[in-house]
Amino acid sequence: MNPVIEYRAVCKNYGSFVALRDVSFSVSKGEVVCLIGPSGSGKSTLLRCTNGLEQISGGAILLDGAPLPQTRAGMRAVRQRMGMVFQNFELFPHRSVFANVMMGPLTVLRMDHAAARARAEALLDKVGLADKAASMPAALSGGQQQRVAIARALAMEPAVMLFDEPTSALDPETIGEVLSVMKRLADEGMTMIVVTHEMTFARRVADRVVVFERGGVLLEQGPPRQIFDAPLMERTRDFLSHLDWSG
Amino acid sequence: MNFEWSIIWRSREALLEGTLTTVLLSVVTMTIAIAGGMLLALMRLSRWRALSASSAAFVEFFRNLPLILVVYWAFYVLPELTGWQLDAFSTGLVALSLNVSAYNAETFRAGIMSIRKGQGEAALTLGMSEVQAMWHVVLPQAVRRVVPVLASTWISLFKDTSLVSVIGVSELAHVSLEIRAQSFRVLEMLTAMAAIYWALGYPQAKLVDWINRRYGHTE
Repeated sequence: MNPVIEYRAVCKNYGSFVALRDVSFSVSKGEVVCLIGPSGSGKSTLLRCTNGLEQISGGAILLDGAPLPQTRAGMRAVRQRMGMVFQNFELFPHRSVFANVMMGPLTVLRMDHAAARARAEALLDKVGLADKAASMPAALSGGQQQRVAIARALAMEPAVMLFDEPTSALDPETIGEVLSVMKRLADEGMTMIVVTHEMTFARRVADRVVVFERGGVLLEQGPPRQIFDAPLMERTRDFLSHLDWSG
Repeated sequence: MNFEWSIIWRSREALLEGTLTTVLLSVVTMTIAIAGGMLLALMRLSRWRALSASSAAFVEFFRNLPLILVVYWAFYVLPELTGWQLDAFSTGLVALSLNVSAYNAETFRAGIMSIRKGQGEAALTLGMSEVQAMWHVVLPQAVRRVVPVLASTWISLFKDTSLVSVIGVSELAHVSLEIRAQSFRVLEMLTAMAAIYWALGYPQAKLVDWINRRYGHTE
């Protein structure tokens, strides 16, 4: 099957600091790929390069076989096909939940108001927040805000969803509701790239897990069973063993 | 010492006209300076070096000159440079607008820069253009955040309009000082002038306090 996204020897430097070094892997349609690894291993940077928030320094990122465009207009078109969910939600605090979800369809797709409204209603219902439509983001819990952010991204009907540590800023008791929404999305066949520290989620939902290590190097990749139960690399085992507090 | 407080009542029409001129001058100046300040702030943050450099030069120039100097400059030099012969009111309006635009530009720029980078990024990832992200997401939040600063600039402006009395704009200060010169009723006219400025300024200052409480500290 042709990959939706393909990373070919992607490099990213900030001056002399190397954030990504020759990263290559691909993501097929409908696949859920979790990126794991210690902080500073370039996972988030890779996501940000994928939708052009950062420019790569070398290599190539292909979307449906074509390299990411260099023009602003081209990049804007690409971003419409990739939804992004941020660690800090980044809901627009001056607009209601409803307005947040309708923002993309109204301003970018120039959809008429009634259609945008219908789409937003359906999506808020899907993430279980239909009753919060009129609320302002600040009135919601972190988990609720993140679910609205997922609905906002889905409103553009993207081909791929990028999640950048979507549960890292959440209180423990609201993590589950966000992961459940993500799981349902995965079950519906959404193509997803998820940077996460939630190993249970990676184990249960991912089709493939990609392990990064410090210096932006792709250490190994494989199905979750292999990565978690029988990693090929010693350093993967090291990383995973440090996640559990053993006193 | 004998006082003649009736001079104030006898001058009521002139004082009222002066007061109206002060209010009009403040309102029109602030309207121009909000648009001008916003334009300068957006120029300053532009990718194009020529735009941002010319905006920076403008702002640093007018923000660091004494207002009274700008007033005199607009009165004596501007007509020479441009060939326009403006009336005193318009000349004062130009001087005040240049000064307050420079201040508002810095206010708006600070407001825009105080909005988390992730907000603009969230807008871009929806597929918005940079202009759309600025217009729909960054600016509405930035403007809300600087309302208290704009309000206190307004209070300063309201009092600073008295400086254009030096070029003969018939606003409140000029009118009062004229009557004083003609009647030699110095204490009475200065008192009247102070009372009117204070009576108009105090409620505004209270309003600003309220605005500060309302908008001062919200994420």
